[in-house]
Amino acid sequence: MAEGPRSSLQRRLFGWLMLPLLVALPLLGAALYQQVQGSAQSWLDDSLEDIALTLAGQIDLRGDEPRIDISATMDRALRFDRQDDIFYLVLGPRGEVLQGDAGLVEVQPQPQPRAAGRTYYGDVKLRGRELRLVQLGHDCSQGLCQILVAETLRKRDALQSEIAGLVALNGITLAVMLALAGWWAIRQGLVPLTGLSAELERRDLHRLTPLTAELPRELVPLQAAFNRLFERLGRAAGAQREFLADAAHQLRTPLTSLQTEIELAMLEPHDQRVDPLLERLRQRVVRSARLAQQLLSLARAEDRSVDVGQRIDLRDIATESGQDWAHRALPSGVDLGFELTEASALGHAFLLREALENLIHNAVSYAGTGARITVRCGTSAEGPWLEVEDNGPGIAPAERPSAMQRFRRGDKASGTGSGLGLAIAADIAARHGGGLELLDAHSGPGLRARLSLPPPPPDRAPAA
Amino acid sequence: MRILLVEDDEQLVETTARALRSQGWVVDCSARGEPVPRSLREDAYDLLILDIGLAGIDGFETLRRVRADGLTVPVLILTARDAVEDRVRGLEGGADDYLVKPFALTELVARARALVRRSQARTSNQLQLARLRVDQEARRAYIDDEPLALSAREWDVLGFLMARAGKVVPKEHIALASNAWDQGVSDNAIEVCLSRLRAKIEPGGVQLRTVRGLGYLLEEMPTPHG
Repeated sequence: MAEGPRSSLQRRLFGWLMLPLLVALPLLGAALYQQVQGSAQSWLDDSLEDIALTLAGQIDLRGDEPRIDISATMDRALRFDRQDDIFYLVLGPRGEVLQGDAGLVEVQPQPQPRAAGRTYYGDVKLRGRELRLVQLGHDCSQGLCQILVAETLRKRDALQSEIAGLVALNGITLAVMLALAGWWAIRQGLVPLTGLSAELERRDLHRLTPLTAELPRELVPLQAAFNRLFERLGRAAGAQREFLADAAHQLRTPLTSLQTEIELAMLEPHDQRVDPLLERLRQRVVRSARLAQQLLSLARAEDRSVDVGQRIDLRDIATESGQDWAHRALPSGVDLGFELTEASALGHAFLLREALENLIHNAVSYAGTGARITVRCGTSAEGPWLEVEDNGPGIAPAERPSAMQRFRRGDKASGTGSGLGLAIAADIAARHGGGLELLDAHSGPGLRARLSLPPPPPDRAPAA
Repeated sequence: MRILLVEDDEQLVETTARALRSQGWVVDCSARGEPVPRSLREDAYDLLILDIGLAGIDGFETLRRVRADGLTVPVLILTARDAVEDRVRGLEGGADDYLVKPFALTELVARARALVRRSQARTSNQLQLARLRVDQEARRAYIDDEPLALSAREWDVLGFLMARAGKVVPKEHIALASNAWDQGVSDNAIEVCLSRLRAKIEPGGVQLRTVRGLGYLLEEMPTPHG
């Protein structure tokens, strides 16, 4: 599939539709031409035959010899034609010329005598000119008279090319119209597919709800197959999430014990030389425990059963976070401050708390000692937001998107970052229909991570 | 101080108990929730530390039975579950505080101490934080047994903060703490008062920290590791 130009369903359908048409149309055109041409020729032949019959009626059998007398007026009438020259010749029973253009006897091929009342039509040549000839046998008392009437082919040639032109023109018009109609019809027919693919485009692991579009009967099995696939995917993702959550849970208890053991060991009388070792050990365990916690957060951020539609205030979440962080031993000189204004939103308090936790943690571990970190929340025209700004080294704009991917750590990575923090915050923001942006600090160097949420619907019971 | 620790993870029981004992406290352990109400009735415990995920009846049910028996012992919940719903359920069920695993030993000790302190203050009107002691009734504060010379405002603020030790108290609330202040007291006046108070109480092993944008936090001076 990936090689060469991709085959198009529309083109293929169009090709299949047009191929028989392209074969059939010339055949039909040719047949039509033949038929029209045939009847036109026979009409013209009939009028030639009329002349022959008129001449036959003029033969006078009353004497011994058949005679024919054509007046000048009649001759003009018989020969009248706006386009062609008409010649006629009446031969007596012995082949003698009774009337008309004697030169006609020279036509090639030579006319054979015809039986009485029999008419012969033929294409003949007379001194290089092509003529249409009608020959009629007529019973005279002493034998058979032959009446020959011929005309030039100008009318017939003109008619022939006119018919050919009309048939071709109509055929081509028909072909073009059918092609346009076919193309349009196929396109229309494929519209539901386009809709389906647009709908599929919007699906990801967070949105595996069944497709419910009204589709033509032919596409229903496809939709059903997709829905079954979604179901299997959802189950697989769910199982994976559960495993992740279980694993993280199972990891945390022994890590807690380990952490406590190390802290106890540090309190017991011991050789001071192992202190740096114990402290490093403790930090590693704290980091592992945090990683387990983050994996759990990730699993939860993706859990579709979590209700992210609860009415909350981001200020409460930030305040609660602030209470927690106030107790923690921050690296020396880190100044964590808060600038909070009302920011009511719809969301899941624990998840958002977890997002904020990760943003603050990220700022603390990347900005280093002496950092000034400020947590803000508020409401803008676009909706409620929460941000954490630090005055650390920041992240170059080009590296920001990758910094939000899992297990990617910036160049300046140091300390206890696992590389999951920003990814979790971004996941949680996405889970709420919002987003995480990494921006420049308001002034000077540093990073400002801003989590925006969609505006909540107006409160049903607004404050009086 | 006597603590009943209910936790069914053997390792965690052992380390947690050792941590609490290292503070000079007496710790009894139980792996199940059923006998807890009886133990509490029979012996005078100062604190119940209760794990939620127990075999048999779980922590919530144990807590419910304890409170149904009319026992008022402070309860600290330990949980590996960190869904907000669980915390809320625990607190609504009568728990006084919760701690999510994995927790730092120092945090457990600090929470345990704060809970016991609060519960004792309810009965004795005496609040103790490190070497700083406050007698709410007599409106006097001491470091060890040395009385502190405090202005009326300073006393009001200290009493207010001591009752909320370990919590960040917003500046607006502090402004309401003293009747000696007018309604329109300036931020500056509060800061001056707090900085004077800070100088007086910090020799008692406590610290009064400013949390930028949130408020003030009175807590024990942390003992550095190692």
